[in-house]
Amino acid sequence: MSTLTMNAGNSNTVNNSSINASTIGSSAMMEVTGLRKRFRDKEVICGIDFQVLQGEILCFLGPNGAGKSTTINIITGALRCESGNISYCGADIYRNLTAYKKNLGIVPQDLALYEDLPALTNVRFFASLYGLKGRQLDEGCRYALEFTGLMDRAKDKVSTFSGGMKRRLNIACAIAHRPRQLIMDEPTVGIDPQSRNHILEGVRRLRDEGMTILYTTHYMEEVEEIATRIIIMDEGRIIAEGTKEALKAGIDKERHYEIDASYDECPDAALLYQIGGINEVAINGSRIAIAAAKETETLDKIITTLIAGSVRINAIASRTANLETVFLHLTGKSLRD
Amino acid sequence: MDNFKKILGMDLFNLFTNPMWLAYAIVFPLVLVLVMGFLTSASYGSTVTSYDYYGIAMMIYIIFNAATFSANGFMEERVKNPNMRLVYSPVKPFFIHFSKVLATFVFCSVTFTLVGAVLYLVVGVNYGGGYFGLIYLLMLLAIFFFSALGVMVCCVLRSENSTNQLLSIILTLFGVLGGLFFPLDGFGKAISAISWMSPAKWIFSACMQIIYNRDISMYLPACGVMVMLSAAAVGISAKLFKGEDYI
Repeated sequence: MSTLTMNAGNSNTVNNSSINASTIGSSAMMEVTGLRKRFRDKEVICGIDFQVLQGEILCFLGPNGAGKSTTINIITGALRCESGNISYCGADIYRNLTAYKKNLGIVPQDLALYEDLPALTNVRFFASLYGLKGRQLDEGCRYALEFTGLMDRAKDKVSTFSGGMKRRLNIACAIAHRPRQLIMDEPTVGIDPQSRNHILEGVRRLRDEGMTILYTTHYMEEVEEIATRIIIMDEGRIIAEGTKEALKAGIDKERHYEIDASYDECPDAALLYQIGGINEVAINGSRIAIAAAKETETLDKIITTLIAGSVRINAIASRTANLETVFLHLTGKSLRD
Repeated sequence: MDNFKKILGMDLFNLFTNPMWLAYAIVFPLVLVLVMGFLTSASYGSTVTSYDYYGIAMMIYIIFNAATFSANGFMEERVKNPNMRLVYSPVKPFFIHFSKVLATFVFCSVTFTLVGAVLYLVVGVNYGGGYFGLIYLLMLLAIFFFSALGVMVCCVLRSENSTNQLLSIILTLFGVLGGLFFPLDGFGKAISAISWMSPAKWIFSACMQIIYNRDISMYLPACGVMVMLSAAAVGISAKLFKGEDYI
């Protein structure tokens, strides 16, 4: 179980108790080595290596253009790489690509649905391509539609669905054949919080049912909520890898204060640096950002110093490490940049 | 093969349930032939009527639409994303593009037959009498070629917009060179020779010779040209098709 408290301005407590880490296998289900991909003159994947363990939710986190979707598309076998090896259960995926693809369920970033057809017809068609027939196909479709909460709309045309329902149907089409490995490429883009929560809850349930899940997103909150392991990517490279606790532990030596202040004369940063334990001060308009050593109690001294300098403090937010700060620490830029 | 049948079934469903395409494949050719035939009826005699001429010439021109249908059935936004899921699924890449060719062929053959039957019954277009079977087979071969052409251009250009733009130029050129809008014989030997580069010229000439001269000498070469061009288009598509263009 892990609990993470985010900054005061956006207070949010996330509980991962439903994820049972003991069911994660220690053996690699998939092994990727030396993966490289180039689009024209630009190398978008720069020789990355990673493993996918059986039963885990492996999240790829990174800003847009980091190479997450390209990596995912190569793993699906739909996109060829310039060099590198991808083995699944010890065998090169390209040796028998069709057989390999039968193990996968893919939730593409774009909605891959026939809008003029009913939801059930969509699920039936795509599931049938994986060899499901007769009763097995019926059961698979029922399972997928019930799982995504769309059973009561099974006979309705997709064009009448809301954005969130289409996203859920996009997932139903990927799981009706009960794949061993589910690959989800930003499945919550552009949907309402209720549908998003439904999808994230579903991801955890699928994982509890034994599916291995690869999940890409640039939403840090989603990764915090569902990941059992995280790969952080930027500019085609893996810049960090591990559990969220391990990633945060690496930089969890500081406490960050964000102070909303007003003043007639800009406060002197040098005065703040004189306080023991202050590592960084950044003053940007009414926003004063301070990084202080975690083991030193500095807040009262910061407040005193600012008030002494005729600074009016409107609000103070305090936060410890989260994946956003991990990314910031590793790359010097924000995930949202 | 089972997956091919499923994909073909879905492609046929998408074609036959698109009201705009149905109208374009049935209503448009009927109106075109009837209007052209009516407007030019005074220029033709009673043995060979204007409807006889445009019943063949415009119907060949209408066959060109097969290229547009297959290109759109392959890359149109409405079907492009679902096709993306086909790329991810355990389906042979050949099935994905060839099913579009075959589905368009079936769709256009059915609508073409329907339009031809209506024109025969309403204005009595001459389709060769006892040679009708030969004419019909040649038309079907032409429909297959143009279906394959549309998909091939998609595989080459990898863009629906570029494909539609290029196809409209190519098809108009084929129509003009084939003498479908007006005869090119009066434009000299050079133009006449160039006109044989258009598949429409082969089909149109073979049809006219069979119907009015009972001469089938052009028939086998015309069929041969259609078969060879179709094989080339399907082969090029297979070579150039990349599933990653969908993702």
